Amino acid sequence: MKEKGIGRIIFTEREIQEQVSKMAKMLSLDYDGKDPILIGILNGSFYFMADLTRYMTIPLSIDFLSIGVYPEVTKKTGIVRFNKELDLSITGRHVLLVEDIVGTGLTLGYIYQHMEAFKPASLKICTLLDNPAERLLDIKIDYRCFVMPDEFLVGYGLDYEQKYRNLPYIAAYRPEP
Amino acid sequence: MAFITFSRESGSFGEEIADKLAMSLNIPLISRSVAMAEWFPEIADKHELHMLSESPRFYLNKSRLNITFAAYLEQKLKEMVEKGPAILFGMGSQVIFSGHPEAIHVRITASPETRLQRLSKIHHLGREDARRMLQLTDRKHKRYVSTIYKQDISDPAHYHLILNTDSLSIDESVSILKFAFENKQAKVETTEKLEEESAKPIVFKNESEEEFARILDMYGLEWEYEPHTFPIEWDSEGNITGAFSPDFYLPRFDTYIELTTMNQKYVSGKKKKMRKLKELYPGINIKMVFKSDFHSLLRRFGLDKEAHGK
Repeated sequence: MKEKGIGRIIFTEREIQEQVSKMAKMLSLDYDGKDPILIGILNGSFYFMADLTRYMTIPLSIDFLSIGVYPEVTKKTGIVRFNKELDLSITGRHVLLVEDIVGTGLTLGYIYQHMEAFKPASLKICTLLDNPAERLLDIKIDYRCFVMPDEFLVGYGLDYEQKYRNLPYIAAYRPEP
Repeated sequence: MAFITFSRESGSFGEEIADKLAMSLNIPLISRSVAMAEWFPEIADKHELHMLSESPRFYLNKSRLNITFAAYLEQKLKEMVEKGPAILFGMGSQVIFSGHPEAIHVRITASPETRLQRLSKIHHLGREDARRMLQLTDRKHKRYVSTIYKQDISDPAHYHLILNTDSLSIDESVSILKFAFENKQAKVETTEKLEEESAKPIVFKNESEEEFARILDMYGLEWEYEPHTFPIEWDSEGNITGAFSPDFYLPRFDTYIELTTMNQKYVSGKKKKMRKLKELYPGINIKMVFKSDFHSLLRRFGLDKEAHGK
């Protein structure tokens, strides 16, 4: 599936699968006997979440969160709210947030603050791609598969205007002028 | 406004000290006689006034306002301290205003022997009569607070300052209390000023900062605007000649953020300051947002494609 705007492949399907499988092994060791809950942040993380959890070899629970921006009458920028809240209770549980990309950390900061309020036993972060150069909030990323290049990326859950999420690889994308 | 509550033992010169202090500070002295002459006549008839002057227990009766006389007195005392500085003499005010941030609770004491000698001299009484008078008045002073509030006025935990006038003169005691009051008043005024300041709307230096604050608000992230100034340069005598105040502080993430929306050629001065800041305060966590980053942030969050497309 090669389309206009899609540039070079940054991470091949094989590279992704290898890295995700390695990560899953590490998580299986770290969370052994802890019965963790993995929480995927929709929509970008759903392929990553699906592969990661299938490679993991320990009992675990899965839930998803989705956030969106809602307009507010008194504000120009609107306000971030949850489109989908958690179905499972995380109080006293070992929680791993699974993200597609961590950039500024603002989104993650919002989610992290929210999750902390439920007093989980532990709260860690796992991301497919990390862009530390863009970071504004000092949030500890516990697990990351790849450091992100300074390019706009699509594929393996990442989109441009809701397209290209279903590419099995991650590629650079330059919108057509 | 600061105020003082006064408790005293008989023969300790408590009345004299309170009187002189009120004069010296030019603030009203509110004692039970003021309450009896000016406040209670508004709600009590002649018989009730008589009972109020005689029996602490009577303060637990309901007045015609459907609140107890004790509650009415509390209400009046609270109105007084709202109006301005004052000295509240007795009436359980150390209990009523316990923990009040603007109150100084004072108790004036002296040893039983000193008090006995003073009463004997003032009232021309023999030693035994003076002793009886002392016991009687001490009991009477305690009774109101123990009846109404079930508290012991001699418990030191009620007070910030306890002055023993065995060897402190009236003038010395007044001078100590005046100093304490003026200090408290200065502290109260500073606190009020700070509260006024923090209630003022934030004036940002430019539109970019305002936009950035909106983004943080959008994510429900707590922030402070220029809350800290870090000295970064000093002259040979140690005077501060250069300082840096990062634009935002995010307390939850212990992160400072400095926005730089100037063109790249003007940024070098700021970069230099940042470098110095990091050298001098290595523990500080500060991020700089450059013009290009800021505009990409705005594009992303302005009418927010990113969050919709997550």
